[in-house]
Amino acid sequence: MAYLHDQMAAIGKVKRSKDLPQGVERLKEEHRKVVKDCTSQIEHWSKVEKDYESLQDRLRTLPDKLSYDIMVPFGPLAFMPGKLVHTNELTVLLGDNWFAKCSAKQADTLVEHRKKHVKNALDDLQKVVKNFQNRADFTDDLKKLTGDTEDFLDIREEVINEEEFTKGKHRLAHKPNSKPKQEYLLELEEDKEKKEGDEERTTGLLSEEELWARLDELEREEELQDERYRLDSTDTNGEDTTSSSEEEKEAEGGSGVQVNGHQKENGWVPSSITSQMNGTNGSHPEDEEEEDFDEEAGSGLPTIYFSHTAEFKKVRINTGKNTTLKFSERNEQKAQAKRKKKSGKSNGHSPHEGYKITSPTDIYRVFVDLVNGEPVPRKSILKSRSRENSVCSDTSESSTADFEERRAAFGRSWSHDDATHSDTSDGITEEESPTGTSPRTNGRFEAFTGTVIEKDPLPCSIPHLTIVPPALPTIPERKLEEVGPEALQEPPKRMSKFKATRLHQT
Amino acid sequence: MAEAIHKKLQSELEKYQQLQKDVSKSMSSRQKLEAQLTENKIVKEELALLDYQNTVYKLIGPVLVKQDLDEAKATVSKRLEYINGEIQRYETLLKEMERKSEQHREVLSSMQQEYQRAQGQAVGKA
Repeated sequence: MAYLHDQMAAIGKVKRSKDLPQGVERLKEEHRKVVKDCTSQIEHWSKVEKDYESLQDRLRTLPDKLSYDIMVPFGPLAFMPGKLVHTNELTVLLGDNWFAKCSAKQADTLVEHRKKHVKNALDDLQKVVKNFQNRADFTDDLKKLTGDTEDFLDIREEVINEEEFTKGKHRLAHKPNSKPKQEYLLELEEDKEKKEGDEERTTGLLSEEELWARLDELEREEELQDERYRLDSTDTNGEDTTSSSEEEKEAEGGSGVQVNGHQKENGWVPSSITSQMNGTNGSHPEDEEEEDFDEEAGSGLPTIYFSHTAEFKKVRINTGKNTTLKFSERNEQKAQAKRKKKSGKSNGHSPHEGYKITSPTDIYRVFVDLVNGEPVPRKSILKSRSRENSVCSDTSESSTADFEERRAAFGRSWSHDDATHSDTSDGITEEESPTGTSPRTNGRFEAFTGTVIEKDPLPCSIPHLTIVPPALPTIPERKLEEVGPEALQEPPKRMSKFKATRLHQT
Repeated sequence: MAEAIHKKLQSELEKYQQLQKDVSKSMSSRQKLEAQLTENKIVKEELALLDYQNTVYKLIGPVLVKQDLDEAKATVSKRLEYINGEIQRYETLLKEMERKSEQHREVLSSMQQEYQRAQGQAVGKA
């Protein structure tokens, strides 16, 4: 289809899939016009040529006799008999009011010379006609090709250039896939953002109340943004920037600063700085982006309309303890907490309504710490609580309520769960990290933030089980129980392996 | 506001149309010149085919005036040169006019945008 469009564009017509038949029609129309003109001209010139040829014949026969008896035209309606004399003397019009007296033979030469010119003109016209004929045929073929076969699908993505004005800063475009560097970059950015926040806000650290007030503000903003994004059907980085800037605008005063730094991610920029501390952030949009497939029928060409829906913004808030909380998570958590509380504690195996683990992101989302009564998403599932307190926690989405439920569902005591949870998460992270970038877990207590494109966490996890055998014996049961219900496909195999190791060990 | 813009737009449009007419006029005259050029070329060639025995006449009004062959050749060559020069002149003129019309076009489009915006605002207000 690209070829078709190129062709069309080359001829100066840009077509859309809907207009394709019309465009083709118009193109054919133009072709036909040109071809018609050319053919008429060709006709004219060929007539001229024929005339010249008959003239030549006459010239050759004319001097045969000294004089001819003819009927001389007398005005428009009468003839009278007469004689044609001096048959060899001809006055030839050379053009431009010039005449020359020549003999018949000389005239013949002149006529030959003119015929040459006529022939040239005819040849040119023929060439043009052939050219355009080819073009017309091609468009016909094209139409047939595109109209008949279902193989060609025109995939169009409507890009609506919103008139959003950007305020605040635009994010720097960082190279994706530069995972090892991301740590440092993230650090830098965080510092930068913090600095900005400080500058703008004039207050160094936010107090708790301020923090909550800000959280509320941002909640409101985010709701607005959500509305916006649901309406939007496009998803571009630029728009992200602008939308985040817009969010700023909507907020009051300097509260938008932090927002500015954080943007919702696209599937393409997950590993860029926009994914802040938590890599799961990056991969999350992949879950949430949708592709809308609309098949257009009856237009002659099936079209798939592709659009991106934006995921709702995640806003990072400096929670004062060098940790950041994803704003929307809080929202989610609240909402989910309410929901779950209403519905009562569900079965241990059913938290999947909210936690379908289909990617590593989900696992991070699942594991959340409870710090000071607020759900702080864990940056690294591997790390224990104590360590987490001192460093930036991760920002995996989670919900305290769900987490509690899950824990309860698993039938563990709370304290035990904490300890085991860390271990479990360690195990999981250890499993996960090798798949992504390994250095992350070592230094900074961060979960890996790269894009781990794992369609199925299951196959990746299994080989790594062998890599980290020491971890397995300590976490077998917990892991089994925790991971089991979450990783839908994983349980059977993991359990078996765990069991195997456990059995082996004991 | 919208009215003023509208008036301006109209005047600009008229100017542009005038310019376009001029362009088309010069185009047509240039085409005529082209035809004459080819004709004179053919005459020159055919004169070359003749020899001094053939008398050459020039039609001036209703009169065929006898001309010398060489004279005729010279005249025709001069005419050819003249025609070439004219064509050059028209070429430059056309280019100039094209440029001006392009400018006008841009101005027009910007004015149109303004006008549309103004209209939009007016509609919004009303």
